[in-house]
Amino acid sequence: MSVRYVPVGWSRTKLIYDAVLAAGVVLYLLVYTRLGPTLRSGVAVPDDGTIGMRAFGTCAFLLMSLVLCIGPLARLDARFLPLLFNRRHFGVITCAVAMGHAWHVLGWYYAFSATSPYIAMLTADTSFFQLRGFPFVPFGIGALLILCAMAFTSHDFWLNFLGPPVWKRLHMGLYAAYGLVVLHLGMGALQSTANPLLGMVVAASVAIICALHVLAGRQVVSTVANPDWLDAGPVGAIAEGRGVVVPLAEGQSAAIFRNDGKLSAISNLCAHQNGPLGEGRVLDGCVTCPWHGFQYRLEDGCAPAPFTEKLATFRIRIANGHVWLDPRANPPGTRVEPLAVDEAT
Amino acid sequence: MGQAIILASEAYAATGGLVAAWFLLWRIEQIDPSARGAYAFRPLLVPGIVLLWPLVLWRSRRPAVSPHRSFRQGHRRLWIGLAVLLPLLLLGSLAIRQNGPSEARPERLAAP
Repeated sequence: MSVRYVPVGWSRTKLIYDAVLAAGVVLYLLVYTRLGPTLRSGVAVPDDGTIGMRAFGTCAFLLMSLVLCIGPLARLDARFLPLLFNRRHFGVITCAVAMGHAWHVLGWYYAFSATSPYIAMLTADTSFFQLRGFPFVPFGIGALLILCAMAFTSHDFWLNFLGPPVWKRLHMGLYAAYGLVVLHLGMGALQSTANPLLGMVVAASVAIICALHVLAGRQVVSTVANPDWLDAGPVGAIAEGRGVVVPLAEGQSAAIFRNDGKLSAISNLCAHQNGPLGEGRVLDGCVTCPWHGFQYRLEDGCAPAPFTEKLATFRIRIANGHVWLDPRANPPGTRVEPLAVDEAT
Repeated sequence: MGQAIILASEAYAATGGLVAAWFLLWRIEQIDPSARGAYAFRPLLVPGIVLLWPLVLWRSRRPAVSPHRSFRQGHRRLWIGLAVLLPLLLLGSLAIRQNGPSEARPERLAAP
């Protein structure tokens, strides 16, 4: 990018987003640690160290579950898009809460002896050759390392330095981290039958996340090999200021937008991090990437000055009330006159 | 074994610290124009470099190119697999659990 890096790119919206998220985390932890023990009747109240560990652990799990739901929810319903805009800060907060869980574990279960808590954690349970009672701590360590790798590389610099494909693959490690956390809980806390609520929460999280991702995945229309023109659906399906995504061959896609009653088609992939432009809104004549706010003019796919990014454009036409797209992309930055809907229909 | 893992981790982190110093003080301005004259954000990169320094060294030699490609198709296939695997992991772990005792009230033991 052609702008100088800053530590955190906060805007008013992102500040509100972060403040709400941080307040929610603090409220959850306070309720769990202060109010929770008073609600336990008939059973012994655990010690403060255990309550703190459970509070941070369950909070981190719920945050992970929420952050995993944001992507498919935003694809299924545009009203969830604002949650997508600042997802990286969500991830950093999740990592911080998970580190709080680890800090409580090290400072309670593995403290108060001459042995280093780190060594104690690695050597306290080594029953790796039995299924029942298999050590669950390594799953948690693995998940925490993945969350740390993601949080530590969340700055825009890492996107440019590693390149979008490597950066995106690194951050898709969240799925592996979630699987490890499910194992960490399943082989750990859920081995106790004392608290069925936790088991129900974990089962609901797994069911909802899997269902949302499969449902969102079904929205991707099967690709057509190389037809001359692709049917992008009825003209009326494209709302003013919004776009629709047209899948192309080999995993590529285009997006058709309506702005001031005119249609334009550009690549669906943002030049910044390959974000889904088709899920963004048109602001001031430019489509705005829902991930990080990068903008592109609709008529030529160019980012407004002083930025220099360019996207491929596509030819479109209207016939029988449907929009048709030529899947052969123009070179990035090629101007294509927007198609007036009223004149064409 | 635990001691060896901790020692190896410390050596890895120490090497990462050296790489971070070299990278942030010298190399970063050569490979990224947006980092020139920008210093406040650099401390934020230290944990990532310490954790991923082999990747940093590799990428320092081979700067990233930015091909446009969609991750959606791979993402979809991945989630079809995970939608099967995750419930299996959870149900499997629940299947092997024993009916353990519920959290009983603590009893004060008599001194030996």
